[in-house]
Amino acid sequence: MKDLKILVVDDDPITLLLLEKRLKAEEYEIKTARNGTEAFDLISNNHYDVILTDLKMPGGMDGIGVLEATKAKNSRTEVILITAYASVDNAVAAIQKGAVDYLQKPINFDELMLRLQRIKNMKKLVKDADDLREAMDITEFNAGQTIQNLELTVAQLQSQLSEVENVLSQKGIDSSERVRLALDRLVAV
Amino acid sequence: MKKITPDEFQIIIKYIHDISGIFLDQSKAYLLETRLESLVKENGCSSYSDLYRKAKADASKVIERKIIDAISTNETLFFRDSSPFDVLQHKIIPDLIDLRTAKSPFLPPQIRIWSAACSTGQEVYSIAIVLKELLTDLKKYNLKLLGTDISDAAIAQASYGSYNKFEIERGLQADKLSQHFSRNGDNWKIKDDIRAIVSFRKLNLLLPLNGLGKFDIVFCRNVAIYFTIEDRKKLFNKIADILEPGGYLIIGSTESLTDICPRFEPKRYIKSIFYQLKE
Ligand SMILES: C[S@@+](CC[C@H](N)C(=O)[O-])C[C@H]1O[C@@H](n2cnc3c(N)ncnc32)[C@H](O)[C@@H]1O
Repeated sequence: MKDLKILVVDDDPITLLLLEKRLKAEEYEIKTARNGTEAFDLISNNHYDVILTDLKMPGGMDGIGVLEATKAKNSRTEVILITAYASVDNAVAAIQKGAVDYLQKPINFDELMLRLQRIKNMKKLVKDADDLREAMDITEFNAGQTIQNLELTVAQLQSQLSEVENVLSQKGIDSSERVRLALDRLVAV
Repeated sequence: MKKITPDEFQIIIKYIHDISGIFLDQSKAYLLETRLESLVKENGCSSYSDLYRKAKADASKVIERKIIDAISTNETLFFRDSSPFDVLQHKIIPDLIDLRTAKSPFLPPQIRIWSAACSTGQEVYSIAIVLKELLTDLKKYNLKLLGTDISDAAIAQASYGSYNKFEIERGLQADKLSQHFSRNGDNWKIKDDIRAIVSFRKLNLLLPLNGLGKFDIVFCRNVAIYFTIEDRKKLFNKIADILEPGGYLIIGSTESLTDICPRFEPKRYIKSIFYQLKE
């Protein structure tokens, strides 16, 4: 699988530059945005595996806004929020809205790399599971069609055979006539 | 991983068959290992046979329940195979309502549906969503929708009605999701009006089906595949007993009733088949 495609959003150009450099060094594919609105345009038109966004940003859209826009577009994209002042309430609110993680500034890069690695492993597992399911669905669908057709054919043949049995066991009728009637039943379908 | 010895394997598959009907053959030894190893550790057991002894001795049946949870395959999704839900919507429910209104024009039409191995509830809620979208005002009908399963863990999730993003992604169209579920973080919860027409309880399909009442429609999908032919025959016969005359049965898309239960007649509706109890 390709490495993660990450969008970094922060209004502080220094943080942005630093993050970009460090993440590129790890061979992640990086895009940056300087505020929520810019991020919103990028998210609307592109696919990202991970969004790394500052919580407090000036302008119309803050980190929570970015989080909501991301989840609305694709719930599989993971969002990590970064904040200067960690507060439990903010963290809980963010996680409830679907953020995977919450990091405090100054960013501990080792920690960030570990979290990204974890997301990468998770994505790989999810992809494997998706592939398996896809294969299972196709097999199940085809097997289902075959079995259901057989089921109907067998039911039809069974009822035909029991009619033949009935005809053949009718004592009142002459035996050659019985055979003729039985053959009629057999060719009837 | 802890290895299971051939002797232990024999004892444990017999035990699992006795408590759940699930039948495992020799090729499934790895399955017991992957699924029971953590229970062996958790209960401080030295081996699989030790776990078996503890489970048998445990009067509270806590270990037995955990073994069932671990061994049952709860794989399911919303609107699985899709065609049974089309049959339900376009054929079975309209036919039943016609029948009921013709018989008792002044009573709210009664429809009773049972999902016999409902796992984590996706099948039951898919049926409920069909009913809601087809009938709109559910109060005008006398509906009973029951989901049962042998696994406590599965029934607990079904009853709570909450699903994570991976479960939600499987089989549920976006409009149905936004209409019938509300979001809570990464999870989605079924809305109250749908939840209100559904009930759940724990039930082992191997035991007599006393006290369930009669049903018009039974979904029994992808559970009998784990049973022996003998147990399948018994199960479908019991289902035939609790269905109303002419009642409907839906089985899994790759299952067959040929040589299992002649009391049902397979019928085709467009792309899929359903079974009807012979009168
Ligand atoms: C693969 S799921 C099928 C779920 C759903 N009917 C579907 O088709 O998507 C099988 C379910 O059967 C349940 N099961 C296994 N043995 C059972 C028994 N003896 N009685 C009741 N349920 C049982 C398992 O716990 C599991 O949830």
